[in-house]
Amino acid sequence: MTEQNTNEGWEPKIVAFVCNWCTYAGADLAGISRIQYPPTVRIIRLPCSGRVNPFYIVKALQEGADGVLVSGCHPGECHYITGNLSARRKFAMLKSFLSYIGFEADRTIFTWVSASEGEKFANVIKGVTEKVRALGPAEKMVKTIGEPAQA
Amino acid sequence: MENIEKQLREEAGKLLSEKKVDVLIGYGKGTLPYQAVPTIITEPGEAEQLVWNPFCTVNLAKYVHDVIFQHRESQKRVKPEDRTKKIVGVVARGCTTRSIIIHLQERQYERDEVVIIGVPCSGYVSKKKLWDALEGREPLECAVEGDTVKVKTQEGSRSVALKDVLSDSCFTCRYNNPIIFDVMVGDPAPPMNPEAEYEIVDAFESLPDDERWAYFTKEMSKCIRCYACRNTCPSCYCKICFVEQSGPKWVGVTIDESDTQVFQIMRIFHQAGRCVDCGSCVEVCPMGVDLRRFLKKLDKDGYNLFGHRAGESLDSPPPLSERSMNDKEDFIFEP
Ligand code: SF4
Ligand code: SF4
Repeated sequence: MTEQNTNEGWEPKIVAFVCNWCTYAGADLAGISRIQYPPTVRIIRLPCSGRVNPFYIVKALQEGADGVLVSGCHPGECHYITGNLSARRKFAMLKSFLSYIGFEADRTIFTWVSASEGEKFANVIKGVTEKVRALGPAEKMVKTIGEPAQA
Repeated sequence: MENIEKQLREEAGKLLSEKKVDVLIGYGKGTLPYQAVPTIITEPGEAEQLVWNPFCTVNLAKYVHDVIFQHRESQKRVKPEDRTKKIVGVVARGCTTRSIIIHLQERQYERDEVVIIGVPCSGYVSKKKLWDALEGREPLECAVEGDTVKVKTQEGSRSVALKDVLSDSCFTCRYNNPIIFDVMVGDPAPPMNPEAEYEIVDAFESLPDDERWAYFTKEMSKCIRCYACRNTCPSCYCKICFVEQSGPKWVGVTIDESDTQVFQIMRIFHQAGRCVDCGSCVEVCPMGVDLRRFLKKLDKDGYNLFGHRAGESLDSPPPLSERSMNDKEDFIFEP
């Protein structure tokens, strides 16, 4: 009961790292087609899912993201030929490692959305929002003390 | 052991006097009785300083990298036609050769820049375990005889079984004999028990999320961020490490525990497919942080997902520098 009270009015904050060529275009298509999806996601556009440094994900979690989504082109369709294949190896190990040290598996989610999959993009956001909502606000490794001002 | 040490000194002296190497990195007697220290020699006469015993701990591949890179740095001020290469000799057990293989795969230096004196290894003494076995009494003299460590403390002599104080990494070591070498001294050591390699990981995986998180945070809260683990690790060789970068500032400088956790996750994750389980980081950590439990997970995943073991052969590149259409992707979310 108490938990419900504290989470009342809470909406998940999800950081999405997406590639420029597929998923970003997919998100655009979802917008152009006026497909509705929850406003929980903050999109950060990168050239390629291979550009997603695993530490971006770790830092997003530290900065208080309730969930992190990474999405790129389907394997075999990378604009840079193999960027997403390299990325897939990193993510497989990172996701497993974060789960191992005790992060809930659903806090970090990886998927592929192509430029023509506006519908899928909306469904991904819906799905991820539901998963993260079920987990509640992030508490693990969230930074509470601010960095000193830079001189 | 005595015999290996004698042969080692001979080989080292020979390499130096025949000018096959410019410097030689080995272990020498330390100032503490239970610890041999890395020793760098350049004259054949100095070969007498070298020792080989179960107190030889840290992975010397780190020093190979350091010496070669410092030399290269010094050559920057020399006219290109006058630049020289420095050939480094190194005393290497199994894990050291694995680290050298990683350096070679990552194109840090060429194979002809190192001369490897391979030594068989049956494990080294973990100083923390030794102190624990002595219940905190300071060892004043230590000697290994067969499978016991004879220790003299203020309160008299004691014997400790060698197997009770060996480093955790050594018990399940798969490669206790050198994988690559130019000269080998001594006969290959008998195998350890690699079948039990992932037992600590398996046990940890079976705990619930929150218990694992509690353990991770408890261990990392001990860490004082002295970065000794990074400094000793042969796979941590970047000139500018992420922990010192200020733009972007990856690792915060507050006392917030999350800053230390982020540091640890990042340092450990950098070892994906690159940690050879030499145990050096665990050995040098002043706070006794249980790093191995986490590093070993990456090793297990690297093997299960990509069939790869760090530094096991020159022909098997680190998994994260490779890619394949056929990798498993059961972790990918489909709405
Ligand atoms: S992380 Fe530790 S055990 Fe692994 S290679 Fe580096 S020093 Fe050795
Ligand atoms: S050596 Fe130990 S205390 Fe020092 S930074 Fe590494 S884990 Fe932390």
